[in-house]
Amino acid sequence: MSWKGAVSQTLRELRLHMCQTGPGSAGLRAFVQTEYPALKAQYPDLPVLVREAAGVEARAYGRFAHGREQRLTLEGLSQQDVAAKLKQLVASSA
Amino acid sequence: MVEVFVDGRPVQVPEGSAAIQACELAGVEIPRFCYHERLAVAGNCRMCLVEVERAPKPVASCAMPVMPGMKIKTNTPLVHKAREGVMEFLLANHPLDCPVCDWGGECDLQDQSMRFGSDRSRQHEPTGRRAVENKNLGPLVKTSMNRCIQCTRCVRFANEVAGAEELGTTGRGNDMQIGTYIEKTLATEMSGNVIDLCPVGALTAKPYAFSYRAWELKRTESVDVMDAVGSAIRVDTRGTEVMRISPRENDDVNEEWISDKTRFAFDGLKRQRLTHPLMREGDRFVPCTWEAALGRVADAARAAQPEERIAVAGPFADAESLVALKDLFNRWDSEHLFLETNAPELVGQPAGFADLRANYLFNATIVGAEQADAVLFVGTNPRHEAAIINTRFRKAFLHNRCDFAAISPEMTLNYDCVNLGDSLAALTDAKHPFFERLRAAKHPMIVLGSGLLERPDAAQHALHAAHALAKTCTNAAPGWTAVNFLQRQASAAAAFDLGFAATTAAAAAKRPAAKFVYLLGADEVAPAALPADAFVVYQGSHGDAGAALADVVLPGAAYTEKSATYVNTEGRVQRVRAALTPPLAARDDWAILRALSEFAGTPLPYASVQGVRARLAEVAPSFAAPNVQAAQPTALAVAAAVAAKAKPSKAKAKALPAVTLPVTDFYLTDAISRNSRTMAQCSRAFTHQIAESAHEAHIAV
Ligand code: SF4
Ligand code: FES
Repeated sequence: MSWKGAVSQTLRELRLHMCQTGPGSAGLRAFVQTEYPALKAQYPDLPVLVREAAGVEARAYGRFAHGREQRLTLEGLSQQDVAAKLKQLVASSA
Repeated sequence: MVEVFVDGRPVQVPEGSAAIQACELAGVEIPRFCYHERLAVAGNCRMCLVEVERAPKPVASCAMPVMPGMKIKTNTPLVHKAREGVMEFLLANHPLDCPVCDWGGECDLQDQSMRFGSDRSRQHEPTGRRAVENKNLGPLVKTSMNRCIQCTRCVRFANEVAGAEELGTTGRGNDMQIGTYIEKTLATEMSGNVIDLCPVGALTAKPYAFSYRAWELKRTESVDVMDAVGSAIRVDTRGTEVMRISPRENDDVNEEWISDKTRFAFDGLKRQRLTHPLMREGDRFVPCTWEAALGRVADAARAAQPEERIAVAGPFADAESLVALKDLFNRWDSEHLFLETNAPELVGQPAGFADLRANYLFNATIVGAEQADAVLFVGTNPRHEAAIINTRFRKAFLHNRCDFAAISPEMTLNYDCVNLGDSLAALTDAKHPFFERLRAAKHPMIVLGSGLLERPDAAQHALHAAHALAKTCTNAAPGWTAVNFLQRQASAAAAFDLGFAATTAAAAAKRPAAKFVYLLGADEVAPAALPADAFVVYQGSHGDAGAALADVVLPGAAYTEKSATYVNTEGRVQRVRAALTPPLAARDDWAILRALSEFAGTPLPYASVQGVRARLAEVAPSFAAPNVQAAQPTALAVAAAVAAKAKPSKAKAKALPAVTLPVTDFYLTDAISRNSRTMAQCSRAFTHQIAESAHEAHIAV
């Protein structure tokens, strides 16, 4: 997937929470494995904090200018759905 | 498992256990002096005698392996008599100076003679006790060798755990002595542990000799922050003073040892403390109110552009204050947050470093380090940066014949280590015969040091090369993680977890000159990195280098005065507990930042400790689960994939500067240890090898 121009000017940080083994996080895990390098190559200065902890719900937080945050639940979604939802999140401007 | 009978009760114990362990499992306490679970068995005090059926004499239970169906008796007249006899022999030579002995009240000999000794003495003559000369073991351990009962625990500890082989025994029988034979200090950063191990008061703490009695102390269980290991400690206080710090047991982290800095640096908490908000007027600091100080800081912050505000966190910053500072800066749309590890130039991180936990954590875990069979250190001296983890490496050296090599300047470790030079090219090349050993190892470890971060490009290169090397370790056990990063500051792992230190080197290079600088306990920022006209705020516990640069100083709490969260180098979330209240007007660090957010007109959405901690979990979910070390498989896979793409080349490695070590003096690394007299003495005696002068010997008493 191409990430060129996909991220809004006001996105400051993306945080991805997932469980290491839980089936609900499988989509997000697969997304991170396949898409992280491309996203990072396009936006090397954007922090994309991948955080694993046992039993947490798959979630994403976008932090935009002036500390405004948006939260997204990605529990149980497939890799494609995760990608679509995250694209929406990073393109928004809080 | 074998079945044995203790006083008629059956217990199942693992094969090869000692009889004393079987008794313990059965809930029967056996008195002992020389036996210690974490040291080799010596069997020389005879206090643990028990009767074993069909054995002609009482046997030492610590040295007796269990046999199937063995019948142990611990409560017979013969056993009682034997214990009384051993006790009598020990007491015949032990001085009667309990009233002036620092160990009084915690002494095994006192306790066990009360419980197991005879109730009357057969000794009438006041003379004739054994007399032994005291030894000089340096500025930390005070000896009173008349009290020694020759259990040799100290000798075994020094030889096995600390690797300081100069401590030993001379003579035999009544003439046996403990010492270094030739006058020599006990040069190990773990020496203080012999004080706890010594069952009597023969080895006590020199720095705080005669300053307390054990029963006056209030005990608070806490966690150490002098390095990134997070050793479990107990802080003993009297009134408003810390009197002593000793280890607690935590098998996953520090077993029951702590380093000398952890144990003895606390006298630095009593000097140079910041107790009131201060404002600079000309070349002096004037005490002021919190309102005035915070108002001034808020005004200065408002006057700067978002890009011109920066914050730097020091070694003791807790997770609560890190997240509060980050949230506050983010509210101001400022993103330039740094960790002191990057100081003095505030150069930022390699791109993506803070993204993946596997990049900045000690993935193999502290317990795991013990299994290692080939270890490569890159730019780190574990003995200085994580003394406790180094004891695990020493265990690996002793028990699995682990091979060690280092890409670093020459350093002295307490096990054999091959030096591969100080160029990162050695890592990219991987030609040295040691690498063959590493590739063949079952539990290979590549340990990258936090000093590498002073050069983001070097750190990135080292990380990628380490992953490339790890990929060739095809013999590694499944699930084993070869690439490890060793942090040396207690604040570091939390700062990365929270995305506090996420500014990349590229972004940092582009930022304009700072106008507003917030130092959260950061003392090592080079004054040159801060423009002369910048407004500098220092928040912290000590008036050290950082405060000297400040326009406004905000007094914070030290680690013994707050309840706060820290993350150790393996990613374990732990909580320190307040043993005291902060001095005078000093306050909890996160609360200061919360108050500042009000003054700045951008209030943070949490106002209680529970609120901040909920926010911590919202930023990084690992904060919701204290005291666990969690694997990061996804992050690890991604890190390896990124590294594989980067293809670190030898030419690039050659262009990088030589690797240096960040810690040159183990005893003086931060504001607390720099203000500690004990640490200063240690630095002289151990780092610089200057013998104690008559003057120091005088003030030590
Ligand atoms: S000094 Fe203490 S620990 Fe060492 S042998 Fe003597 S009694 Fe045992
Ligand atoms: S404890 Fe068994 S001989 Fe000392």
